[in-house]
Amino acid sequence: MAVIQLTTPISEEDINQLQVGDTIEISGIIYVGRDAVLPQIVELIKEDRLVEHNIDLKGGVIFHSAVSIAGLGPTSSNKLEIEGTMPELSEAGIKVHLGKGALSSQTVEVLKKHNSIFVVTPPISAYLTKKTIKREVAAFENEGMEAFWRLEVDRYPGVVAIAHGKTIF
Amino acid sequence: MFISIVDIRGAACEALVKASSTFSEDKVRAYLRAITNETDEKARWVLEKTLENSIISEKDTTPLCDDTGIPHPFIEIGKDAAIEGSMYQVLEAVQLGIGDGLRNLPGRPMAVKGEGLERLAQKHGLYEDPGMLLPAPTNVRIIDGDGLKITVLMQGGGPEIRSKTYHVFHKHEEMSLIDTAVEWALEMVAKLGCTPCVPAIGIGRTHYEASAMMIEALRHGNFDVQSEIESYITNRINESGVGPLGLGGRSTALGTFVKIGEARGSGIRVLCLRLSCSVEPRKATVTLK
Repeated sequence: MAVIQLTTPISEEDINQLQVGDTIEISGIIYVGRDAVLPQIVELIKEDRLVEHNIDLKGGVIFHSAVSIAGLGPTSSNKLEIEGTMPELSEAGIKVHLGKGALSSQTVEVLKKHNSIFVVTPPISAYLTKKTIKREVAAFENEGMEAFWRLEVDRYPGVVAIAHGKTIF
Repeated sequence: MFISIVDIRGAACEALVKASSTFSEDKVRAYLRAITNETDEKARWVLEKTLENSIISEKDTTPLCDDTGIPHPFIEIGKDAAIEGSMYQVLEAVQLGIGDGLRNLPGRPMAVKGEGLERLAQKHGLYEDPGMLLPAPTNVRIIDGDGLKITVLMQGGGPEIRSKTYHVFHKHEEMSLIDTAVEWALEMVAKLGCTPCVPAIGIGRTHYEASAMMIEALRHGNFDVQSEIESYITNRINESGVGPLGLGGRSTALGTFVKIGEARGSGIRVLCLRLSCSVEPRKATVTLK
């Protein structure tokens, strides 16, 4: 099975070439956050304060995971605070939302509007931890493993589940 | 020969680490069978990646999943076992050994600070030390022989969201219970995300018994030994086409574990279904003699 390589920042053209069902690998700088922190990131967007934390969401990837000494792994992306923040995060430049689980038809439309996609990855923590080159907290350190993290990764694998108004679910 | 308290602590630690970082041999065989039978390319990719993950975690002794779960300890004491300390010391050694295991693995630091309602709302945050996570109540059983067995089962959070314990009016039809379990599983399986799932089913007289039977089903279940009812449930769930990671395909359930407990003379049974995830059951046993 052909694997499409993507490196951040991800361009509009990169997204245009992808279809639901494609297998991809993502390399470069990505962000990690889940229910506790993503609404706080949306607040930063609204207040135009991302720059204070040196966060650039343009062409970005957000992986829905905690980051702990036990490693990383996808949490359910259909949690209210995760799926509910996808519109603002996509509008702010996030191109790939990486997680797991089926999302609503409204989210499919929102992603289409912003030319963003949803990619799913299995709960393969040992594998993902091995593919993580660097990790640092980008914002909200007080949230601990649920903080907003900045990672450098080498070929994180996934399957495109939602793109261009189509869904695999 | 006496079984030492120090060895009991070490056995609990070893069982926790092994349960959290390795696939049992029967689970590896179940994955290999699923990969062979799977015709959907994407589904096969997920199954292969999940198996590859288990090879890395076993080699590096790292967690299979970053949700390392809540430890559920079991002590089985041989009728003729001689132990060098008191029962209190045995239970304390198991608890300390579990703390050691959580630090060695390491487990995800997820013990919540505070008491009562404040603990529920996580008002004071989490402990940084993974060893602060207390295990579920320890189950003690008597078995034949002179050995002592420590088993640790690690239960992740995702499956706890996709679980249900409730009464069922059985209408004196045994299959009404089984079909209700299938119905519940089909309602929840697409939302689990981490498929292929492993449905664990317990049936008892009370909610406590049904949950305990579900845990026993996981503890004793073997993917190589599937009863007619277990295969029926697996096949029904696989017909859903949800597939690994919800991407479609034949492999929605890897196998099913059922444990039927006592029944009361009544029109109801209590049914417990837990949709265990693709890395579960995470369990290991260490035997001391």
